[in-house]
Formats: sequence, structure tokens, C-alpha cells
Amino acid sequence: MGAHLLTLVTFIPVLGGIIIAFIPREKLDAIRWTAVAATALQLLVSFVILGSYDRMNPDIQMVEHYSWIPAFNIEYFMGIDGLSLPMVLLTPFISFLAIFSSWKIPKAQKGYFSLFLLLDTGMMGVFVSLDFFLFYIFWEVMLLPMYFLIGMWGGPKKEYAAIKFFLYTLFGSVLMLLGMLALYFSLEPHTFNMIILRDAAPEIGQKLLLGMNAAKVIFMLLFVGFAIKVPIFPFHTWLPLAHVEAPTAISVILAGILLKMGTYGFLRISWPVLPSATLWFALPMAILGLINIIYGAMAALAQKDLKKMVAYSSINHMGYVLLGMSAMTAAGMNGAVFQMFNHGTITAMLFMLVGVVYDRAHHRDIDGFGGIAAKVPIYAGVVALAWFAGLGLPGLSGFISEALCFIGAFPVFTWITIFATLGIVLNAAYFLWSYQRIFFGPLNPKYENLEEINKRELWTLIPLAVVVIFLGIYPAPMLDLMSGTLNQLVDIVKTAGMMAGF
Amino acid sequence: MGEVIFWVIWALVAVSAMVVAFSKNLVYSVFSLLATFIGVAGIYIFLNADFLAVTQIVIYVGGILVLLVFGIMLTNRIVVAKITQSSLQRTTGLVVVGAIFLVLVLTLLNQTWPLATSAAEFDSTVNNIGELLFGDYLILFEVASVLLLGALIGAATLARKEL
Amino acid sequence: MDLTQLALSLKYFIPEMVLTGFIVVAILYDLFLKPETSHRVGFVAIAGLVVTLGMLYQQQGIPATGIFANMFALDGFATFFKWVVAIGAALAIWMSLDTKELENRRVGEYHILILILVLGMFLLVSATHIISIYLSLEMVSIMSYLLAGYLKENSRSNEASVKYVIYGAFSSGIMLYGLSLLYGLTGTGYISEIQAQLVLGQVSPVMLVLVTVLLLAGFGYKISAVPFHFWTPDVYEGAPTPITAFLSVAPKAAGFAVLIRFFNVALSQGDPNTPSWLALPGLDWPMIIAVLSAITMTVGNVLAIQQNNIKRLLAYSSIAHAGYMLMGVVVADQTGIAAILYYAGVYMLMNLGAFFVAIQIKNIYNTETIADYAGLGFKAPWIGIAMAVFLFALTGLPPTAGFVAKFYLFRALVQFGDGFLWLAMFGLLNGVVSLFYYMRILKAMYFDKMEIPEKLTAVPLHFNVLMFILVVPLLVGWMFGDPLSIWAAEAVQFFF
Repeated sequence: MGAHLLTLVTFIPVLGGIIIAFIPREKLDAIRWTAVAATALQLLVSFVILGSYDRMNPDIQMVEHYSWIPAFNIEYFMGIDGLSLPMVLLTPFISFLAIFSSWKIPKAQKGYFSLFLLLDTGMMGVFVSLDFFLFYIFWEVMLLPMYFLIGMWGGPKKEYAAIKFFLYTLFGSVLMLLGMLALYFSLEPHTFNMIILRDAAPEIGQKLLLGMNAAKVIFMLLFVGFAIKVPIFPFHTWLPLAHVEAPTAISVILAGILLKMGTYGFLRISWPVLPSATLWFALPMAILGLINIIYGAMAALAQKDLKKMVAYSSINHMGYVLLGMSAMTAAGMNGAVFQMFNHGTITAMLFMLVGVVYDRAHHRDIDGFGGIAAKVPIYAGVVALAWFAGLGLPGLSGFISEALCFIGAFPVFTWITIFATLGIVLNAAYFLWSYQRIFFGPLNPKYENLEEINKRELWTLIPLAVVVIFLGIYPAPMLDLMSGTLNQLVDIVKTAGMMAGF
Repeated sequence: MGEVIFWVIWALVAVSAMVVAFSKNLVYSVFSLLATFIGVAGIYIFLNADFLAVTQIVIYVGGILVLLVFGIMLTNRIVVAKITQSSLQRTTGLVVVGAIFLVLVLTLLNQTWPLATSAAEFDSTVNNIGELLFGDYLILFEVASVLLLGALIGAATLARKEL
Repeated sequence: MDLTQLALSLKYFIPEMVLTGFIVVAILYDLFLKPETSHRVGFVAIAGLVVTLGMLYQQQGIPATGIFANMFALDGFATFFKWVVAIGAALAIWMSLDTKELENRRVGEYHILILILVLGMFLLVSATHIISIYLSLEMVSIMSYLLAGYLKENSRSNEASVKYVIYGAFSSGIMLYGLSLLYGLTGTGYISEIQAQLVLGQVSPVMLVLVTVLLLAGFGYKISAVPFHFWTPDVYEGAPTPITAFLSVAPKAAGFAVLIRFFNVALSQGDPNTPSWLALPGLDWPMIIAVLSAITMTVGNVLAIQQNNIKRLLAYSSIAHAGYMLMGVVVADQTGIAAILYYAGVYMLMNLGAFFVAIQIKNIYNTETIADYAGLGFKAPWIGIAMAVFLFALTGLPPTAGFVAKFYLFRALVQFGDGFLWLAMFGLLNGVVSLFYYMRILKAMYFDKMEIPEKLTAVPLHFNVLMFILVVPLLVGWMFGDPLSIWAAEAVQFFF
């Protein structure tokens, strides 16, 4: 047992997708339950992975390493460590729940669930690949289903949103491809193996490319690719559109998992392989994080559309990750990755809750509700929990990771961190203000007969809420999983930086 | 003397070719084409390519041109038909063509060309051509026959009334 | 050269002779057929191509050699392209068998002309003498003119043919002038001897550049590179669609073959088979081609955005793809040429596939306008999925072989060093632009809601089989060992 766990966890969904393709389209329930089964199985395997993961060992584990295209030294190389494990847990968890929130997808369910499962495979593949080529393949494979999922099942401006998302991310990934090739040729023998590349980081740092330091050039090429995914401030314009237009479950996936691929890419490739360039770019990165925090919060404050507000809150939350990981301290790094995980669960709740009210009211105008807390008390309660988690209330998981990010960043970027705390205040402001407008005040007579949240919806939210509360009270299990690897990563960057004179 | 004749032939070819291109009357075009072909044959003679010159006259003048005349004379009203010959953007075209011409002439004049060291004795080229055509170039000779076969089939297909 | 030596070459010429034999058989068979049954000639043609491929397979392992007094070469490079051309032709003929456009007319000659076209390309890809290059180029061109105008009652088809002829005559005239200059400068027609003369340095660099530009007019016309591309959209739109599909892959591939052979042998230093390869001193043709490549792909992609007719859109996209492939010519070393070979093979499948979908939709719904594709993804799900695969492959997205093909090209460029990184950047960004218009087709098929006219005909079963043959290699062909890339790498071997 165990030899092929990562292959399994990656390809189980797409197998489910292929099975769905052969189910007649009338058999809706069979299609849905196949999708559930595929993601459930994937979730199960991810638990097995968690169980057999050795948290004392900071290096990669459960390695699967085969030669794939020998002519170019391309390998089928998978493995996980403390950086990828949280994501490997998060992906099937969110996907599994998102299947339930897409239960009532109106048309072409067969295509929807097939594409959804293909998307799942793409995301999981990114998190377990240790060969850059393989990583890139999964990274791109994920684009295709996403395009269709937004474009076919999305809101009124879905086509524009879908093509914008596609063009933006493809633009980023072609630059990444160039950076990847430059990395490939920087070593002799040429390799895409991330571990070999990491160990050869000092050598890469001394190469020249176009008359400049190769590491810096490659870093910037990769930066654009990853930054668009995160998204970092000037590259973020696809996000509000895509999140708003996508169907609920897809927004959940987008915000919950896809955004993490950007920061994961930074930590998996840019940080260890190009440490000198990373230190060179740490300050700009922290500033970009600050901009994300402040800009995201301000923009969220200005939104009238509830879903757009949540979308901008993601930009804000990813800002904490950027700030934490650019500090190169153990606390910051752990906070950043922990925040990646927490944002995944919290934002999933946020989007699902927006979906719940949208299904009933058919609009998302924050000012268009009013006083509905009395009508839908359970819903109001769950929203309160999610909103509090979103604004980082102590006792909920978001607080811990944000605090860690700040603690880690404070000694390094004191002033930036101080300004960033302003984001927390703004955060609280828009969440609480929107809550007040929707749930309190006089009841809007239109919603005299508003339906309460149903069982299926509630049960998709409860697991998320449990995780959020549990990790808010007792974060140690998760932090234990990742700290070994992340502390090692910080050391790698710092030592390499010292050698390069930083 | 030889040089004068060369330039006369050169002028004949150039001028008559222009008439072919610019004349509005098809019959004029055909007859100046005759002058072009004969002029080219003259240039071949200057190159000691006697066989080529004869072939040029026999095939182009004796065959193709006569065929063209047949086509024109036997077709109703084509003699009086006006051909649209209005060229657009003459100035631009003239500038571009003139520039290309200038570049060509300057480059060709500046290049030292490998020339035969002594004027070859005049000797008929028929033997050599025959040997080459059925020796080194035999395969090309055969390929040309397939090409012509294809062209023939294609021409017949296009000319046929049936779809 | 005495005849016995020439006769010895015959044993290296079996595929071509078999093909010629089948041409004759097809002509004779056609005599016995009525117009309604004349499509049976197509079966003969496919059979002929299959046997020819078998004969090509027999030639595997023969070391590179010159045949017929070195007029032609038999080497791995030529053989690879022969495979691409012959397979492409067989698929194109298959597509023609049930095409509405060709219904109710005599099609015997159509298949015969395709076979002659294939023979022309077989010769073109192996030509090593300026006369054999020119003759086979004309053979390809003339057959293409005839096929483009095959729908003779259709004015678009006539226009296609006439435009093709005029541009073709003009370009090949310019090329012929360039070849004559080259002959005048070197006194020989064999391209390897031309190289031997040129490396002596007697020819001024300006002259060399001039000759190169003149030659590029002829080669560029065949591969439809900017600025010799003006014929492409009109010809592609007017010609019968299977012919368009075929013209967009096979003559283009053959054009690349002769372009690479000529530049790599005649205009470079040293043996093209060794890695130490250099352009002639004073003639920076890699830079000329790099600029041509950048312009070609940009023009193709930008103009494709505005097209509403599927055939015109694919025509501009084929211009863009010529630009991508030229990137490989820029680095005409082993990796660069192997990348082009790979690309040519993959491009053959994906472009034929995209045109094949266009043929089927034309058959079923009688439309070529992209806007009329609305909702087709649901009406004809398998066609829709296949189209998605072809378009993703054309864009160069994984998990299709189209991505791998592009990847190899960029890999060759990046490996070359700093000099052409700008071109790689250009190519990559062009890929993003191309995404936009390829997705327009998918958007129409899947996102747009409109009434679709009722089906005119059902899809014949063998068309589904053909679709499968085109889709599967694109999706999984590269994942397991990638035999095509191994073959492409081995095929970079020139007779010198």
C-alpha cells in the first residue's frame, strides 16, 4: 500500500469524469452520485495520505518517480511535503463539498460534472507534481474545464468572464513556460526536476540571461504567471468578474483552491529554486501584499453586489499570504501556508452562503434585503460564523493564520505590517456593515416568505464550519504538518541569500 | 558590332513585352508577343545556345503563338473586346518597382561574376543537350511527363461541360 | 552518367514508382466509371497511398543517398515528410468520399490530381538540384491550382483558382530569377555544390541577401508566409473544403521541407548533419527568417480575429502556424529541425481535423459561418468535443499533442541562447492571441443559444471512425513514449 497514493488521488476524479461521460444524460442521479463517489474516494485517499505522512520528516515523501519522456529528461515525478500536504487535503475536501452545492445545476449536468472532475484532477496534479513539466501540464489542463464551467453555467456576462479568465491565465502561463524553459537549460544535464533545481539554486543564481542575472529574469517570468493566479494587484481584474459570473460551486473552487495555486507556485518553485532573486524581490512582494490587503478591503467596502464583495475579500486575504511569505521568517511562512488553507475553507463558506441566498432571492444586492434574520435564523447564524471567520475573529481559524503572518512580517517589514493592520479594520467594516444591511433593520416585505436554508446546503457548510472552528481553537495539528518543511524552506532561502550577499 | 545587335535585341524584347502587358487590344498583344519570343531566341543565340534558340522559335512561335491566334480569331467578338487595363496606384507601384530595379541593378553590377576564361568555340549544343536529357536529367524528363499528364487531365476536366 | 548507374537508383525510387503506377491505374479505371460511381477512384487512390506507405516503410534504414545523378535525395528528412504528405492525402481523400460539395459531379480526376500532387510533393521534399526543386514545385503548384478550381460552376472556386495561379506564377517567377542568379554565381545547380562555391566568399553579402530574399518569395508562397500570403484566405475559402484541408497541411509541409533543405545545405557552412552549424558569413538568414516568422504569426493571428467564415479563419490560422514553424527554421540545428518535423506531423492531424469538422457541419447544416455554429456543441456532441480537441491543439494547450509540438519549438529557441529569446516571447504571446479566435468557435458552439436548422443528413459511420483516428493520437499519442518525437529526432538526417 502506498506506492501509488499520489497518482490515485490525482486521477480518481478524471476516471469518474470518464465514467460520467458514458452515463445517459437522463439519469441525473446516477451522474451526480458518480461525481460524489469520485470525490469521496479522492477525499478518502487524501486521508490515507495524511495518515501515512511522516510529519517528522521535512523532505518530500510518497515519491513516485519514473522517466516519462526520456529524450528531454522529462519525468513523472510526484511527491508531497509539508507545503503541499495542506493543499492535498484542501482540494478534495472543497471539491467534495462543491459537488453538493452544484446539485441543482440547471442544464447539461453530464458535461458539468465531467468537466468539474477534470478540473479537480488538474488542481490536484499541480499540488503533487515535482517535475516542472508535469506541473505545467496540470496547470494548463485546469484552464480548459474552467473556461467551460464559467462560460456555460455562469451568470449574464459569463462569456466575457470566461474568455477574460482564460486569456489572462494563459498569458501568465506562457511567460511561466518561458521561465520554465530557461530554468531547464540553466543546468547541465537539462532537467525539470524541482528537487535537483532546488539543490542547484546557487549555480542558477550565478548564470546570466540577456545580460542580466538569470535568476532575476526567470523569477520575473514566473512571477507574472503566478501573480495572475493569486491574483496580485495589477493582475487581479479577471477575478471579480470570474467569481461573480461563475456558478456558486465554481466560485468556491476558484477562490478556495485555484488562487492557492499561485502562492503555492511561488513557494514551490520561485522561493527554493531562485532564493537570491526571492530576497531581491521580497520587499516589492511585501508591498504588493500590502496593496492587496488595503485595495481588496477598500474595494469590498464599495461593493453593492454581495458576491463581488466576497470576491474582493479574497484579494484582501491573499494579501496576508503574500505578506507572510515575503518576510522569510518561520512564523510568516507558516502563517502564509496556514492562511492559504484557512482561506480555502472560509471563502468556500462565504461563496456557498451567497449562493444559498441567491437561489432564493435571485439577486445579490446587499441593499435589497433587510431584516431577514428573523425569517431565516439558522442561515443568519451560519452567515455570522462565516463572516466572523472572514474578518478574522479570534477563536476562528482565520485569526490564527493572519496573526502569524503579521507576527512573522513585523520584525522584517515593520511599517508595511503596521499599515497592513489597517486592512483588518477595513475587513471588519465591510463584513459587519453588509451583515447589518442584510439581516437587521426592518424586514423587507418582499422576503415575507423567504425559505430557510435546507438540509443539503446546511450539511455542505457544517464540515467547513467544524474545520474553521477546530483550527481556530487548536491549530497545532495543521501547523505540525507543515512547519518542518516550511522552516527548512526559510533556511534554504536565507542561507542562499547570505551566500549571494543579502 | 555584336554589342550593338545585342542591345537592339534587348530593346526589342523589353519594348514588345511592355506592349504585351499594356496594350488594350488583344490582337496587338499577341503580335508583339511574337517579337518578344523572337528577341529571346536572339539572346539564346548570343549565348551560343543554338538548340534552345531553335526550340524557342519552333515551340513558342510555331506552336503556342499560333494556338493563341487560333483562339482569338475563332472566338466571336474577342477581337473588338476591350481589355480592362487600368492599373491602380501607379505612383506607389512605380516607386516600389523602381526601387527594386535600382537595388537589383546596383547589386548585379557590383558583383564580380565568374566568367568563362576564353570564348568557347562555336559548337552545336544538340549533342550535349541530348546526352544530359537522357543522362543526368533523365528523371526530370520523366517527371515533366507526369506533370504534363496532370496538366492535361486538369485542363480537360475544367473544359468539360459536364460537372 | 551512364544508364546502368541511373538504373541502380530505381530501387531507391520504389514508392514514387508505385505511386505513378497507381496514378495510371486510377486513370484507366476512371474510364469505365459513370459519374455517379466515379468516387470509386478514391478507393484506388487510398489503396495506392497505403501501398506507397508500405513501400516507404521498406525504405527504413537505408543510409542517406543521392539518386538519379543526385537530382534527388533519399534521406530520413525527406522520408519523414513523405509520410506526412501521404497520410495527409489519404485522410483528405477519405474526407472527400461523402462530401456534399463534390456530390453529383465526376470526381475521378479529382482523386487522380491529388495523387499527382502527392507525387509532386514526394519529389519536392527530396529535391537537391535547383531544376528538380523548381520542377517539382511547379508540379505541386499546378495540381493545386486545378484542385482549387475544381468546383467550376462555383464563382468562389474560380476566383480561388485564378488568384492562386496569378500569385503562384508571380512568386515562382521571382524564385526562378533568384535561382538563375545563384546558378550564374556558382555555375552549378546542385545545392551542395552551390554551398561549396558560396563558402569561398567570392559573392558579396548584399548579393547573397538579395538572392535569399528572391528565393524566399517562392518558398514563402508555398508555406504562405507574410508577405506572400495574400492568396491564402481566398483560395482556402473557395476551394472544395477537403482540398483546402489538404492544401493547408501537405504543400505547406513540403514547402517547409524544401525551404529547410535549401537553407540548411546551400546557405550554410559545413555538413548539415553535424551539430556545429553556421549560416554563411555575411548572410544572417536566421535573422531574416526570424523577422519573417514574427511578422507572419502576428499578421495571421491578428487578421484571424475578425473572420466570420470558418474556412477563412482557419486560413489565417494556418498563416500563423507557418510563422510558428518558421521559428524552428531560425534555429536550423538538430533540435530546431526535429521540432519542425514534429510540428508538421501534429499540425497535419489537428488542422485536417478542424477542417474535417467544418466539412461535416457543412454537410449536415449547410453553413460555413461561425455564428451559425450556435448550439452545435449540444446538437452534435461528438463533433463538438472533437472540435474542442482540435482547437485546443491548435492553440497549443495541454493535454494535446499541439502543446508538445509548440513546446519543442520554444525549447529549440530557448536552447539557442539569448539571441532569439525575443522571438520565443513573440511566439508565446501570439499563442495567447490565437486563443481568442479559436475560442470564438467554441463559444459559438457551446455558449450561444440559437435555433439550429434541422439536420440535412446523418453522419456516415466511417466519418465517425475518421474523427476518432484524428482525435485519439492528438490526445494520448504523446503521453506514452511519444514515438513521433523519437522518429522526428532520428529523421534529421540530410543527404549531403
